[in-house]
Amino acid sequence: MNMLGMGIVFASGRGIDSLDRALHEGWQAPAEVEIKGRKSFAYKVDQQAISDRTLLKNMRRADKLSKMAVVAASEALAGGMVNISPSPHPSPTGGEGAKIGVIVATALGAHVTTFDFLDDILEYGDAGVSPTTFSNSVHNAAASYISSALGIEGPTLTVTQFFFAFHSALQLAQVWLNEGRCDYVLAGTVEQYGDVLAYVHDTKLVPAHDGRIKPFNLKPAFQVPGEGSVFFLLGNNPGNAFCEVQSVSVNDQADNLPPADLNIIDADGLLEDESIYKECLSPDVPAAAYSPLFGSMMSGSAFNCAAGALMLKNQKSYANPVTDNPYGFNIVNDTAPCSIELIRCVRYNCFHERAEIYLRGKQIGEGR
Amino acid sequence: MINITGLGAISAAGGNVAETLQSFSRKERNAGPVTLFETPLKYPVFEVKHIPEEYYLEGRRTLSLALIAADEALRDAGLENDLSSLRVGVCMGTTVACQLNDLEFYQSYRNTGAASMIPVDRYLKGNLAEFVSRKFKARGPVLTVVNACSSGTDAIGVALSWLKNGLCDIAIAGGADELNRIPLCGFGSLGIVSGELCAPFDRDRKGLNLGEGAGVLVIETKESAARRGRSSDLFLSGYGSASDSYHLTAPRPDGAGLERAILKALSDSGIKPGDISFVNAHGTATQDNDLVEGSTLGRIFGTDLNVLSTKGYTGHTLGAAGGLEAVFSAAALREGWIPASAGFFNKDENIPLIPVTERADVRGDYALSTSLAFGGNNAALVFGRREK
Repeated sequence: MNMLGMGIVFASGRGIDSLDRALHEGWQAPAEVEIKGRKSFAYKVDQQAISDRTLLKNMRRADKLSKMAVVAASEALAGGMVNISPSPHPSPTGGEGAKIGVIVATALGAHVTTFDFLDDILEYGDAGVSPTTFSNSVHNAAASYISSALGIEGPTLTVTQFFFAFHSALQLAQVWLNEGRCDYVLAGTVEQYGDVLAYVHDTKLVPAHDGRIKPFNLKPAFQVPGEGSVFFLLGNNPGNAFCEVQSVSVNDQADNLPPADLNIIDADGLLEDESIYKECLSPDVPAAAYSPLFGSMMSGSAFNCAAGALMLKNQKSYANPVTDNPYGFNIVNDTAPCSIELIRCVRYNCFHERAEIYLRGKQIGEGR
Repeated sequence: MINITGLGAISAAGGNVAETLQSFSRKERNAGPVTLFETPLKYPVFEVKHIPEEYYLEGRRTLSLALIAADEALRDAGLENDLSSLRVGVCMGTTVACQLNDLEFYQSYRNTGAASMIPVDRYLKGNLAEFVSRKFKARGPVLTVVNACSSGTDAIGVALSWLKNGLCDIAIAGGADELNRIPLCGFGSLGIVSGELCAPFDRDRKGLNLGEGAGVLVIETKESAARRGRSSDLFLSGYGSASDSYHLTAPRPDGAGLERAILKALSDSGIKPGDISFVNAHGTATQDNDLVEGSTLGRIFGTDLNVLSTKGYTGHTLGAAGGLEAVFSAAALREGWIPASAGFFNKDENIPLIPVTERADVRGDYALSTSLAFGGNNAALVFGRREK
């Protein structure tokens, strides 16, 4: 399965050029936020990045979560050079959009809109709530907006798990492609920042008081909440692919793969103690972690995966944005051209279960 | 071929599959006012009246319901509660359990800037499929589907794909949802909840009734069932899913997405519309759903189709609906009869179908269950029985 297109919106902007620029420029300070008198940090998406009157013309009432998802999905579709001409009167077999599936993976979904709806109940009572707010608080609203904004008529699914939702989405995308259920699958993730989330983060976890997530610090593990969306257009045809998704495993060892050329770890301060990541790091394989660019998100694996895909496409390694390294791991310190064939992206959850995504940059297109 | 080796269900219609079928047979409609939480809303609802103590989980009713149904399905399949030696996946659909919508927690945060983390911990440890998977020590893929009202149907469809593609040998799949104040307020605000008992496909239908429950299938490959020495007359043969690409809350008026989902499920199964003996329809009793769904079913299957909605017995159980209706469809094939479609009295001239008004024998070997979701997703499953 190949990554044919990629779209991203995050704190440093929108699009692959923004991602490339952020990876080159390294760590940037997050925004300062004040919540109920407490000062904190967050990697927030600028409204400007999701202002698109053409794409979002029918989404004026949609929340930020859905808008971020539609923007990222739209760019992934366009980047994969797939054009859809939705039919106003589709045949039973569907138009071109029927060949594309959508899988939205999210840990927390529309929690901000859900709390808005709870505000409605508390302020106006059970019979005085807003139907628009309720409709947008339903977990699959973002997926619905993606399908209607982009003319996609294939299977459209929203899935949730707290740490491995994106991995499961990739596994399912591969299955759908193998079965011929779709020719392409738009799979990705979206998360939104909100004050309740920030309060929970700061209460249960260690806030980064200098705004820096330090992925290789491991313990204490510092977090800065983030938000954004990243989508991949996946297909079995080679196209002008970023890379191949060679293997996805959840709580299981990947089958007979050679050692990777680079390990990307998803450490981002969302585990109280991230020492478990020592188990996947090796002195022989350089390691990187890009969560300091995106923020701490339970589905942050997708963002690291995007960085990995860009590395393979550009044959370039990007320096770690934050290089605090008390254990002396072999980490990537320089941004430079290099030959990378296989990247392993690793995430652990709070049960110390592991999920891995292997991205391969050469021999693309053999279609697994 | 993917066998169905276990069925489990709990809803207002019964605490297990056998009780439910007896209840269907007696045409019982166990609805009443809301007792689970305080609300001024006066809609009738279908509550589960008894959760056995051993399944009770403070503040996590959806998980309790899911465990009851999963336990029954596993017992039916002859499986133990420790599945660690097998390759078992868990795919479950829900709506309520995926959101941190604890009103007390939020009110405290809103008023004081601080709140207890107990509801947060419950939520973080309460991802439906992960919870079920850990409870039974399942070691295969795990996924919670949150596709609104088609969640349960889609979850079973995903599990079917897992099995066909070798990701696991056995899957626990279905849906679960509790009756909760948040969706009751939300659906009420949309003006689609009836103040009377719901009347699917009836001319005078006034909207849906909310309910709660869980429906779970154990499905497994033929090889796995053979290794365990289990045989089954029932199988899951196909799944189809398609998006309307139309509107956040309203179904596409021409039913094109639903039609594609149904045709995909039929082609997956290698059968034709004429092979379907009955359809357990989504049939929520809202004006829009029943008009679009009834018209589409009539177009595909003809006007003589045996069609029913079991929501007259369970209410609309949201993320559980597809799971419950899958269990009911499979059980109907096994037992050889379908119940009357409760609540129907008068034909709607705009809908070309009349649902079954009395218990009817199943003639044929295939059944279809459909789900239409908020967000415009449509999903369909085909179940089959082998000749005895």
